Amino acid sequence: MSRAAQRARAPLILAAWLLALAALAAFALHGLRIGSDLRSFMPPPQTPDQKLLMEQIGEGPGARLLLLAIDGAPEAQLAELSRGLAAALQDDARFERVLNGAFDPAALDPALLPYRWLLAPTLDAHTLDATYLREQLEQRVEDLASPAAALLKPLLPRDPTLETLALAERWSPPKPPAVRDGVWFASDGAALLLAQTHAAGFDPAAQGEAIGALEAAFASLPGADAAHLTISGPGYFSVRVSTTTRAEADRIGALSTLGFVVLLLVAYRSVPALLLGALPVVSGGLAGIAALAFAFGSAHGITLAFGFTLLGVAQEYPIRLLSHRRAGEDALASARALWPLLATAIVSAAIAYLAFFASGVTGLQQLAVFTIAGLLVAGFSTRYLLPRVLPARFRDAADTPGLAAAARWLDALPRPRWLPWLLTVLALAVLWRAPGPMWQNDLAALTPVPQELLLRDAMLRGELGAPDVRYLLVLAARDADGVLTLSEALEPRLQELVHAGALDAAELPSRYLPSLATQRARQAKLPDRATLEVALADASAELPFRAGLFAPFVDDVEAARALPLLTPERFATTPLGARLAAMLVARDDGALGLATLSGVHDAAALAAFADATHGAARLLDLKAASESLVVAYRERILHALGLALGLLAVTVIVALRSLRRAWHVLAPMSLATLLVLVVERACGISLSLFHLVALTLAAGLGLHYALFFERPVADAAEGRRTLHATLVCVASALLVFGLQAWSSLPVLRAIGLTVALGVGFHFCLSILMARGSAANATPLSPNRKPPA
Amino acid sequence: MRFSGLLERPLILRGELEYLGPGRLGKSVAAPYREQTRIADGQATVQRGERAPRTFALSQAPELEGFLRGFAALLGGDAAALERDFTIAASGVAANWRLVLTPRDARLARRISTIEVDGAGREPRCFRTRDADGDVGVLLVDALAETKLPVRVLPSQVETLCRGGKAP
Repeated sequence: MSRAAQRARAPLILAAWLLALAALAAFALHGLRIGSDLRSFMPPPQTPDQKLLMEQIGEGPGARLLLLAIDGAPEAQLAELSRGLAAALQDDARFERVLNGAFDPAALDPALLPYRWLLAPTLDAHTLDATYLREQLEQRVEDLASPAAALLKPLLPRDPTLETLALAERWSPPKPPAVRDGVWFASDGAALLLAQTHAAGFDPAAQGEAIGALEAAFASLPGADAAHLTISGPGYFSVRVSTTTRAEADRIGALSTLGFVVLLLVAYRSVPALLLGALPVVSGGLAGIAALAFAFGSAHGITLAFGFTLLGVAQEYPIRLLSHRRAGEDALASARALWPLLATAIVSAAIAYLAFFASGVTGLQQLAVFTIAGLLVAGFSTRYLLPRVLPARFRDAADTPGLAAAARWLDALPRPRWLPWLLTVLALAVLWRAPGPMWQNDLAALTPVPQELLLRDAMLRGELGAPDVRYLLVLAARDADGVLTLSEALEPRLQELVHAGALDAAELPSRYLPSLATQRARQAKLPDRATLEVALADASAELPFRAGLFAPFVDDVEAARALPLLTPERFATTPLGARLAAMLVARDDGALGLATLSGVHDAAALAAFADATHGAARLLDLKAASESLVVAYRERILHALGLALGLLAVTVIVALRSLRRAWHVLAPMSLATLLVLVVERACGISLSLFHLVALTLAAGLGLHYALFFERPVADAAEGRRTLHATLVCVASALLVFGLQAWSSLPVLRAIGLTVALGVGFHFCLSILMARGSAANATPLSPNRKPPA
Repeated sequence: MRFSGLLERPLILRGELEYLGPGRLGKSVAAPYREQTRIADGQATVQRGERAPRTFALSQAPELEGFLRGFAALLGGDAAALERDFTIAASGVAANWRLVLTPRDARLARRISTIEVDGAGREPRCFRTRDADGDVGVLLVDALAETKLPVRVLPSQVETLCRGGKAP
């Protein structure tokens, strides 16, 4: 085909390419759901603790709790706002319950009202005889003469012993704040509320929706503009962290894109080359997303973020093509000439990422699919599409001013053979003596919540007596009723620990529903109608109550005698049922009960208490369990990386058909990776998963530098083109990742610092170790076809 | 004395009410049961019979706080304080007057619709608190407190008594 005909077809090919990209984008955006649940990016749990953690992380009652404070207005108005907000969210499907301390008789389903005799502990110590009733009714007379009368009057006919109040008190949080004007208030004068979301705490998307609804409901209340709503809790933190991370990543992304554009304009002095050069990476990214949509249907946000980071390697492909084009050469011909080496790089990286597939972690498998599809498409479009649309006019990179001098200087550098070995020995020594722990196991340390928010959370948690998110007491039994029985047995002993100051309060499942045996015992103590009527008449003989006033009470007791006992399943249908359901977990071989603990001061005493139950109760430290999960996860990544490294070495050896040449490529790459580790460890940085992923990317880039420098070149100009391409690649990588290294967010800093350091080391070592060897190699390799 | 829809006859308590200075009140019930209430420094302490005393902060029950403030202002003759918390309507003559106090605070108004005070000269003799639900609490002071009342006294009879009429 003539060059003229080729050039005429370029716009057509470009149009078809863009059209295909648009279609791919439409498919990808339509077909892929972005998950934000952290758990899809974690390894399958092995131990029972890890299994429980996976269910509880985010979904546990403590993690779904939002703590709210309203301040900045007079007390009466704050109380009004508290009531208004609770009422507005009561029917919102995103919230399981909203508590503000107001006594709400409706909290107990009217149909369940007779059950109060079975639910409240009154009958454990008393019977409904004349003595007890008289004592109670006398107190009611006195209550009627007191200011409390207005509150109690509506309850009396049906509930003269105030059983509903006893239940409401039992079901309010273990250490409720002071009630003023009917709602909770903190000691600093802010109105307090608790809102339990349905969405998991570490699901920022769903939490964001719930918090948005909450803020909107608050803003629409009359008088809300004067007051100020403060939100805290795990769900709020995950939203905050995800927005600040995104905002900072976007800012850095915009800045580095700008720098990247300027860099490419300086390097190639051509706007079309710049725009067209972006197409392979865009194609790769879209292909990766489409592959995920096709293979998984959904992907975790972290997978995508990691995937795009790793796909940064693909930007090298068009840069190589642009830099290596020689004067008078057709772009297609340079692509053909570059292809063997480029293909080696692409295929070895793709094969290496296959190792992630073996990890068994969904998130990593998704990462592998995304990266492999992306690299292949970016590589093949660089080879087959890009050369056909590039403009014919261009500047030979070999003629870039100053490049020749730089190449000469680099060639003249001394290359002592002992240097790499010395570096290796020093590196291992530093690594051995490095300060701080080797690994960062606390995932939260990577996405830290600002200190002032944590302090505020601790303050609100203390005021509200809200449960600790770190510790859970796990009760194991044969079935749900067994859990409730166990919970009842533990209640007094746990209460002793509260008195001893080991913790502030515990919330056991039996607080909400007594075991069937206890219910049966209480039911058996209820008198029949005739007996009760006699006792009641006797008790109220000298009291001024209207005759027949307590008929609803007598009816309720009669009804309670014949009630079927309240099972956890039946209780689950009541407004409070969701609370209990969250505390009971069904297992194949039994049931688990989760007791939340507030204000744990002495974890050791609690652990000793749990040990004394011989396995019936266990203190679960969610932090320890999550760290063990991170360790397991890292082990899998390390295994995958080890396997990837092996596969990579084999691919390079096979492609280069020479152990010696493969050594010249792989040695600088491995040493540079080691040096990155050494520098970070010497600075006292503990390594996280993000460092490992960043190391992988840097190694991928290093492989390119070494492969191209090692390549035997036909003439000095071609050597200068290699240097030009590599310099552009190094500069762009340093720019993009160097900016990230300055980020305030540890996640971005981990990735940025590691890749920037890696690129620096890989470049220097490739120049010293791979380039030096090329000078001694045969001038014409079979890989390099003579120019057409 | 308390008239309530729940009771077939009014509750009649006897005891003493002491004004102990601004913000301080003492109330002791002597019959038919014993109860001591002391209000001082924003705290209320209630002791019934032989049971342990219960103490709570007045700020936990703002409606009670408002009511007691009004009461203390009345007994202490602090017209300005009274004017702050209630709208006041006066009627009658110096020898037989009536004040009707309506709470300004919306929260207090949800519980109490009016407080009516009858008196002669400088001495109040009868306080009547009308709850929002129609129940009425009556406090007869000084000479009237000694009045022998029938067990099933009617609200209208108490009204007459308060207006300076004869005991039923």
